[in-house]
Amino acid sequence: MNTIWALAGIVIKELYRRKDFYVLFVLTAVLTVATGSVRFFQDPNIVRYIKDLCMFLIWISALLIAITMTARQIPAERENRTIFPLLAKPVTRGQVILGKFLGCWLASGIALAVFYLFFAIITGSREHYWPVLDYLQAFLLQWIMLGIVTAMTLLGSILFAAPSSTVTILFIVAGGILFLGRHLNTVALHNPEPVRSIIYTIYFIIPHLELFDVRERVVNDWGLVSWPACGLATLYAAAYTGLFLLLTWLGFRRKSLT
Amino acid sequence: MDAILRTEKLCVEYRARGLKLEIKPALKGLTLSVHAGEIFGFLGPNGAGKTTTINVLLGFIPPTSGAAYLFGIDVRQPIARQHIGYLPEMTYYYKFLTAEELLRFYARIFGLPSREADQRIDRLLKLVELETARKRLIKTYSKGMQQRVGIAQALINDPDLLILDEPTSGLDPLGRMKVREIIQRLKQEGKTVFFSSHELGEVETICDRVAIINQGELKVLGPVDELVAQHGVNLEKVFLDIIGYQPQTAL
Amino acid sequence: MKRIHPGWLLALLLTLCFTLATVFVPRAQWWNAVPRAADWNKARSQSDNVFKLLFGEGRRLFANEMFVMADVYFHSGYYPSMFDRQDTDRDVADPAHGKAEDTDSTSDDFLGPPPDWLAALDRQFVPNRHTHLSSGGPSGHMNESEVQEILPWLQLATDMNPQMIESYTVGDYWLRRLHKPEQAREFLFEGLRNNPGNSELLFDLGTLYDKDLHDSNRARNTWLAALRCWQAQNDNVKTSMESKRLYGAITIALAHQAQEADDWPQAIKYLEMVKTVSPYPDAIQKQIDEAEKKVAGAK
Repeated sequence: MNTIWALAGIVIKELYRRKDFYVLFVLTAVLTVATGSVRFFQDPNIVRYIKDLCMFLIWISALLIAITMTARQIPAERENRTIFPLLAKPVTRGQVILGKFLGCWLASGIALAVFYLFFAIITGSREHYWPVLDYLQAFLLQWIMLGIVTAMTLLGSILFAAPSSTVTILFIVAGGILFLGRHLNTVALHNPEPVRSIIYTIYFIIPHLELFDVRERVVNDWGLVSWPACGLATLYAAAYTGLFLLLTWLGFRRKSLT
Repeated sequence: MDAILRTEKLCVEYRARGLKLEIKPALKGLTLSVHAGEIFGFLGPNGAGKTTTINVLLGFIPPTSGAAYLFGIDVRQPIARQHIGYLPEMTYYYKFLTAEELLRFYARIFGLPSREADQRIDRLLKLVELETARKRLIKTYSKGMQQRVGIAQALINDPDLLILDEPTSGLDPLGRMKVREIIQRLKQEGKTVFFSSHELGEVETICDRVAIINQGELKVLGPVDELVAQHGVNLEKVFLDIIGYQPQTAL
Repeated sequence: MKRIHPGWLLALLLTLCFTLATVFVPRAQWWNAVPRAADWNKARSQSDNVFKLLFGEGRRLFANEMFVMADVYFHSGYYPSMFDRQDTDRDVADPAHGKAEDTDSTSDDFLGPPPDWLAALDRQFVPNRHTHLSSGGPSGHMNESEVQEILPWLQLATDMNPQMIESYTVGDYWLRRLHKPEQAREFLFEGLRNNPGNSELLFDLGTLYDKDLHDSNRARNTWLAALRCWQAQNDNVKTSMESKRLYGAITIALAHQAQEADDWPQAIKYLEMVKTVSPYPDAIQKQIDEAEKKVAGAK
């Protein structure tokens, strides 16, 4: 476990020493503050569109950070040959996978926490109201979702040749699931067999990332999602994360290191 | 004397890419052993199989047949690497870390307690003369400095066996001298060193025994002075004789 | 000095330009005072704003989406997707829904029972009940002033497509409900600048003067302008039901105002106009008869 935490620590250090996070944060902040500075009908209390935009930017930025950071972990280790002094230590390939996953997931979580803190400050300054539990729940759910995405990306980095391919494919997959995932069963019903069965199969196989998207609830003040539902969603996420990590390990353990 | 490092009829074959599925043997039944406390030189021309042997010993690639052991443990077990240090030929480390952070990371992997790790890091950075640069990122280091970081990380766990792949590659004469001094000091401390090198003069100076391989086969193995006495003036002549080098006649 | 990647510089520059445009374009429009009467006779103005430059004619699509977003906000996020709309015969996302109180909340319950366990779980994480911001919102305790949240989208819709009349009229309606008559007036003025002589906007402006600003003279003059514009636009043209409804609304408003001012001959004149388009001509005729009695009595 020590080894896994040590590997995770390295990934987190890499996050805050690279510029990606700071650039994304500044972009999000600038866009949000700029949008917030506009006064619609001279009413300073209109805030939901700012919340909507800010949360949308947070989702995009968090996915960007998680996918790009994770996609380059294993390929960079192999390309830079840092994998050799690492595996020359009493470290297994499974530990490398787990350490990279944990590091990327924690690093995404740290970045996400900073984004959410900014979001809470900006919206609270307008609304004069801080639904802390709502924001905390939204943050936790999104972080759990990023665990699935991180595991998927790690698997992609083993399967695909270059980090750029992994990033592109994972963005398309994640974006597709987020926008279409919950509607696939409706689409299936409007198609004849065998297309219906194929779409239904895809519907049940894919990890439904949109389950964890509670932006509509937060923006429109719907209150907390029930904790049993959150618990079920967490178990669902854990199952998919575990599956993707297992597949990653199976792919990596036989892979050449050069 | 028990062998710290042992290979038994080690074979490694690579499948060439392409439609022909050609098999290229990199090692053909390599059998050798290294005893505790000795400095062992592993020589051969480029493509002889030296790096492949080291890769098998470190568990990077599995052997096609045969076996390799470190401290009596099969090299495929991660625990076999608990008491070894490895210096790769190409010194690539995490460029976004400082030397101190890198050593602390590796110390943590070996499970060293924090205080002991601090003491070792201080001692090693002093040994490799990187104390003043310990807080600088590795990406700002010169080639020689990176090589010295490599030596430091190879020694972080106070290993009983050091595996060095071209340890003086890219170093200036002063740097090479310092590496030789470190290797000799390690021998005095009872450590075992297994290293490959093209610097035959260095090998002749510091090694107790050498093995020369060519095209995946072990050609000769024995104490340096015996080989020199048996084959020729110096180790270079021995090497050239073993690999079958014929000097070109003048035009 | 460390070299910054040109891509990042470009991205920052674009963000800055977009921000400045978003900030200054509305302000530049604000500098125009109340439009003069001459402006109304100009040809319909075309938008030269930043959205036209950026998106071209595609801005109309975006404007429609902005308008739908206003409706989404009105329903606190509970809104059918384009896939859900395939399941019903009617358009469950009627954009004008927000202007009237919907007493039957189940009529727009597009979700139905969840078809599988995944959908059932998903319902927990999204808005899953039909609510209106104007009547309590999701918690049931929200103030009606929460409706202000839909206004930015209406403003953006008109910025994207200044010819989207419905945005102006819906915006005006809710600004009046929020007791912001001045902002409603300015919004309608903006609509009239972009759509000179639009009778629907003129009618709403007249209603604003009458009910909120309590200026009956201005109201009457504005309604008369609306009537003239309507007649000019619908002369020798087959009128739609919607257009006839507008004509009826303008003339009934003028009739009621005349009645309140005891100007019975005018009231009769307008009621005769109403009768030509009203679905209840008998009821209108009754009002005409009563007005004629009042005229006779006065004599």
